[in-house]
Amino acid sequence: MNERLDALRTYLLDKKHHAFVRTSAEAGIADLNEQFEREGTPDQMRSAIVFREMMRCQEPVILPGEKIVLTRTVKDVPFIYTDKEWEGIKSTHYIHERGTVSNISPDYETTVRLGLGARRKEVEARLEDESLDVKGRTFLKSVLICIEALQDLISRYEAKAREAGEDDTAEVLSRIRTEGAGSFREALQLLRAIHFAIWAADNYHNTLGRFEQYMCPYFRHDIDNGVLTREEAFDLLEEFFLTCNKDSDFYPGMQQGDNGQSIVLGGRDAEGNYLFNELSEMCLKASYELRLIDPKINIRVDSRTPDEVFEKGSRLTKIGLGFPQYSNDDVVIQGLIRKGYSEEDARDYVVAACWEFIIPKVAMDIVNIDGLSLAACVKDSLPALKDCKDYEEFYCEVERNIFKEADRICSGHKDLYMIPSPMMSLLMDGTIEKARDISLGCKYNNFGIHGTGLATAADSLAAIKKFFFEQKRFTYDRLLEALEKDFRNDPELKDMLRKEAPKMGQDDDEVDAIGTALLDSFDKALEGRVNERGGIYRAGTGTAMYYIWHARDLGATPDGRTAEENIPANYSPSLFMKQNGPVSVIKSFSKPHLERVINGGPLTLEFDRTVFRNDESIRKLGMLVKTFVTLGGHQLQLNTVSREELLDAKVHPEAHRQLIVRVWGWSGYFVELDECYQDHVISRIEFDV
Amino acid sequence: MTSGTVFSIEEFAVHDGPGIRTAVFLKGCPLRCTWCHNPEGQKFGSELMVKKGEQSICGTEYTPEDLVAKLLRNEAIFKMNSGGVTFTGGEPLAQAGFLVRVLELLEGRIHTAIETSGFAPEETFREVLGHLDLVMMDVKLVDQERHRQWTGVSNALILRNLETLIGSGKHFIIRIPLIPGVNDDKANLEATAALLEGAQGLQRVEFLPYHKTAGAKYPMVGREYAPGFDTEVPPRLDVEQFEKRNIKTMIL
Repeated sequence: MNERLDALRTYLLDKKHHAFVRTSAEAGIADLNEQFEREGTPDQMRSAIVFREMMRCQEPVILPGEKIVLTRTVKDVPFIYTDKEWEGIKSTHYIHERGTVSNISPDYETTVRLGLGARRKEVEARLEDESLDVKGRTFLKSVLICIEALQDLISRYEAKAREAGEDDTAEVLSRIRTEGAGSFREALQLLRAIHFAIWAADNYHNTLGRFEQYMCPYFRHDIDNGVLTREEAFDLLEEFFLTCNKDSDFYPGMQQGDNGQSIVLGGRDAEGNYLFNELSEMCLKASYELRLIDPKINIRVDSRTPDEVFEKGSRLTKIGLGFPQYSNDDVVIQGLIRKGYSEEDARDYVVAACWEFIIPKVAMDIVNIDGLSLAACVKDSLPALKDCKDYEEFYCEVERNIFKEADRICSGHKDLYMIPSPMMSLLMDGTIEKARDISLGCKYNNFGIHGTGLATAADSLAAIKKFFFEQKRFTYDRLLEALEKDFRNDPELKDMLRKEAPKMGQDDDEVDAIGTALLDSFDKALEGRVNERGGIYRAGTGTAMYYIWHARDLGATPDGRTAEENIPANYSPSLFMKQNGPVSVIKSFSKPHLERVINGGPLTLEFDRTVFRNDESIRKLGMLVKTFVTLGGHQLQLNTVSREELLDAKVHPEAHRQLIVRVWGWSGYFVELDECYQDHVISRIEFDV
Repeated sequence: MTSGTVFSIEEFAVHDGPGIRTAVFLKGCPLRCTWCHNPEGQKFGSELMVKKGEQSICGTEYTPEDLVAKLLRNEAIFKMNSGGVTFTGGEPLAQAGFLVRVLELLEGRIHTAIETSGFAPEETFREVLGHLDLVMMDVKLVDQERHRQWTGVSNALILRNLETLIGSGKHFIIRIPLIPGVNDDKANLEATAALLEGAQGLQRVEFLPYHKTAGAKYPMVGREYAPGFDTEVPPRLDVEQFEKRNIKTMIL
């Protein structure tokens, strides 16, 4: 990192740029919704007007040393509805999370290449079609308003740059206001402008997709033609990464840091060439130097990926940002095709905000619409245990409960309403042609369901199978009473279940087979279901924040877990499993048919910082990751932690402001998390030497 | 049938030999190094251990066949990653009969290594050596008297076995735990380097700087940690004696 960027990084971390920020109320645009209500403005237009006002009220600022500009100076985005209106809509519709378009992967590439001017002409030309209905016309006009508002802001930034004597920046801005990018710097600036715009349009979990693939042509062009040296290109790349951390305090998420700014490196083209290139490597290096939570890096790998890629990834793992996260093309692409995605689209997959596999440009999937608690399905089956003659019969009951729960969940997503987003629509395939907002759907409209508490469920069933059915070591009444009393009356049973029963993650074939069966049942339970948008349902192994929520009303479980204990996050072993070590864990967790749970959700391994004392151990970590991939694992995230540091950070947060941890599918600053998430990170299993 | 006592089996032991390996800790050691960080590995046979208020038995009996079956579960993974199994302890040579049987069963299937103090009868050392792919041996102190003072035994056997090792043509690594004020002085390091100069099979010398967390496990086996040197002083890291003799070094 050069001095300029180091200073800019410190400036941003000290949040000095927040001095330029005001609220929408201070900007005088907080009550647009009242005007909309009075005038009966259609939702499509409301979104466009709010966006226009957001752009208009931005105060152009050029931070010290900046070459890639645009800083958010209006903190919050005004909501398009009044409270009363929104209550009314909510009473008749299913609303996903905040109600706005989120967690999809926009097509930045096309607009960066063609330019805002050309996109504007495209929309204007489309408006000439006289057969368009009012809705279509309104939509296209709303898109035009957005483009113009963004162009206008870029103009004002250009003027500001001229005034500040930053002529190079002014030139770049002048070009990208209308033209497609002609250089790496222009491409990064235009990308910044578009990314900035969708955040300001109140979309969230705005992923950055296959960044190095769509940016590479500009990078190559500049390097090959001597426009930039490699060092200059690297500086610009680092600065772009810094921009992702500029306004992130204002981005909505479950917790600070959960903002979905993921990028995906690597992957393979149709001819079988591995796509990890010089720019991919620079991305890892930039992230290594910057040590910031954004962007969060994913690497697409497969069993033929060169060892050096795993090694380079491990070097980044070492510093404890909680990424890169790996996904295995061998499993993911087949799994997506199995769920009806075309082969070409499947090959282009990226990772959403956390881990969900999505297709850029063409998918309006809602990958985190709900979570199904596998652990609760086991618990709900316990009354049947009394009359089951063998384990197989009992498992049928568990499967019935999984189907029942799937029925309940899927019937809950009726009359979905999503707030239109003309700005985001501009960045998705087919919206201009169809004159239809992206919030209404795209080529793929699938819903994803997280499967939570897998290890808790599998371990519980394994204990029942072994100790109840096979060895008859406890009776039905004894188990039920102990669970009811949270094991307070029967510590002996608790010990047996907890310590003697096999656990998923110990490379025990029997319990791993139960885990496999549970995921198969989960997939089967969603098979053939069609959502109201014509999409399908995808099963997954992620948990998101459900690992906290679902644990709360679960009560004690037959794996010996007490009521107040957590369930593991994502696709991971029980928090109190007796460890054999990471090899057993990756073996257990690569056994299931993971192409059937393609909504995603990673196995998480936590390593003590001391594991990575030298280059050799970093290489070995790379080997371990590659082994997981070769064995057929689908997704892996690794975290480097120091227990002492985490404990101290709870007591002295001020001394650990920069401490970064992986929470569920994203990395955040530890001291900014709610305590329950902090404690979960601390209680996770950690491998040391 | 000879069975053996194992006090831990650790997967992904990154500092105990090449590739992805499992380390098998054999219980019992004739030495009493005052800095030992595995006190539960010193006593032969199983013993009671108290960890976070919970009692457990430290030490599990294995027949060679059972241990080998367990290790072979990961055979494919070891092969995929140029790894294998490392026998450590305790002092693995102190259970030589068991160890040899295990090594015979693993021969030709998995890369095997040992971490040893080198303290064993010469015939035993030679026999085990013949079954191994890699030896990692400690040379803690060259001075005989000081060796006795800090480890409880003379180093005469150790130095003879070192000669055997050097002469065997086997690949080996020498490990030196760097203990402040005990063996980190120039004279000892120079003498150690001199012993190793020109050794054909020597891959490198690994230094393991002392860390005061070494004492953490003593209370678990009901003992007091009294190392007899100042644990607050960081050890002196001096690789010069080795580098000037063209011996590769590494700090763990």
